[in-house]
Amino acid sequence: MALEDVCSFKERPVQHKWFSFSSLGDAAIPFPKSDYYNLRLETSENNCGVPLHFFIPPLPHSSSFINRPLSSFCPPKNSMTVQRPFRLAHGTTTLGFIFQGGVIAAADTRASAGGLVACPAVHKITPIHSHLVVTSSGSGADCMLWERILIREIRLYQLRHGHRLSIRATAKLLSSMLHPFKGTEMCVALTLCGWDNGPKLIYVCSDGARLQGDVFSVGSGSPYAYGVLDRELRWSLSKGEAISLAREAVFRATHRDAYSGNNVDLFHITAQGWSQRKREDLKEEYYRDKEKKGKKKNDKLK
Amino acid sequence: FIHILCVGFLAVSSEDPFLTSSSLPTCLPFASSQSVPLPFPMAHGTTTLAFMFQGGVMAAADTRSSCSGLVACPASQKILPIHSHLVGLTSGTSADCALWKRILARELRLYQLRHGRRLSTSGAAKLLSHMLHPFKGTELCVAATLCGWDGGETGPGSRGETTKNQMTELFYVCSDGTRLRGMLFSVGSGSPYAYSILDQGVHWGLSVDEAKSIAREAVYRATYRDAYSGNCVDMYHITSKGWTRRNREDLKEEYYREKERRKHEKTERRDVTFSD
Repeated sequence: MALEDVCSFKERPVQHKWFSFSSLGDAAIPFPKSDYYNLRLETSENNCGVPLHFFIPPLPHSSSFINRPLSSFCPPKNSMTVQRPFRLAHGTTTLGFIFQGGVIAAADTRASAGGLVACPAVHKITPIHSHLVVTSSGSGADCMLWERILIREIRLYQLRHGHRLSIRATAKLLSSMLHPFKGTEMCVALTLCGWDNGPKLIYVCSDGARLQGDVFSVGSGSPYAYGVLDRELRWSLSKGEAISLAREAVFRATHRDAYSGNNVDLFHITAQGWSQRKREDLKEEYYRDKEKKGKKKNDKLK
Repeated sequence: FIHILCVGFLAVSSEDPFLTSSSLPTCLPFASSQSVPLPFPMAHGTTTLAFMFQGGVMAAADTRSSCSGLVACPASQKILPIHSHLVGLTSGTSADCALWKRILARELRLYQLRHGRRLSTSGAAKLLSHMLHPFKGTELCVAATLCGWDGGETGPGSRGETTKNQMTELFYVCSDGTRLRGMLFSVGSGSPYAYSILDQGVHWGLSVDEAKSIAREAVYRATYRDAYSGNCVDMYHITSKGWTRRNREDLKEEYYREKERRKHEKTERRDVTFSD
């Protein structure tokens, strides 16, 4: 495969540089975490310096893990990796859809850690380049890292080849970069929303899914958003209607889902690039909605 | 070690007037290892909803009974009338729900015969909740939404103000002990999809036709996205005159109508040329 060649994505024995110390049967010895998580990227020798190598930790089902000499370090099941404090449940609401005026991407801004609202003002939609925006769901840390990696790879491609990588190819690249981590605890669910010869919407997940579609909503609040979107989404929506529909869908999801809330971010991508709407606090919308329903009740009673 | 299988009648306290003559299941499952193991995890595969508005209570549900991946019955009835002014929506295990609905109907009828007036919806909800309480922690799975109209038949002990006594009531009772009163409930795997539609459109001042259309739309959207909900939609409307049932409607028609509409959109979309 050409892409595999360009990225030098061959099976290489993993560098066990950080397993230099000998006696590691004892779990009490502190693990040098700085080395373990240091993703030092080497340029490959044969190809034109495509830095897409990671020191991939030896996964239990990969061949390098099986073939390693038995005398070297063998990580006991769960002691060396950081224990997960709570179960990941994609606590978010993000959505994206295509209509005649381009692509709309919307998301809430709440980052939750179990029952705690860790941050009420997170950016879940990140621009990759002028015509591509990515909405993230899953583990916040993983998503931030992979967005940066994607930005870098796309920029490098553009500098080397003089034209931007298409969105479908971007999705494929991202999917192959995420593949080695399949089966680990990494959790990334990104929706690429962009424009290249037409609006494109592609969902890429760390499980390996890569789907192109017209409407996607990801996260714990997604069923609520789907109900609203399915009802009113049409190709022929005007820009104002599309924005208001996206906003309404996120608002309904934040109303019912505990892990979504605070504000709504909205991006609109057209042939001219992306434009961001001012972040809006949904608390105001909640009070307006409540008042509207109260007013309707009073009108009917009269 | 020896497995002790306890067989005996349910201990009934003497001060409880409702259960003196009950014949509740005689053997309570004390340890789950002795009962039949569940074949698949229960997930309330259904969509039922009910909301209150100025014209009474509107209740709607789909009609699909699923058994893990199999559609066991495409035409089951999830809305069960209990008496002329009370209707129960069921979710969870259909066998358990059918049984408990019959038990509740019998208890309410007995109450009516003994006391000369119907038990209020809140009383019925409390009764059901207390009857389900001994089974808390077992594999019984019943999530019922009781929709009723109280008042109208005033007994000797009631107050003179009839307007205060006549009201619609909506209660959600669950076998894990929850008993909630509210204006809008949706239960089941399809409930998130229905909730967003209902939150958008339900308010007190709806007309009956608007309420019917929003209930139908909410169930349709849930059946559209949820795999465990589908087939037809049942609708009941409860008012002071009792419940009325709308004809069961197959949502397949609605699905194909929408598909036609989208197909038209697709053709006009292909015609549009993207400039730039």
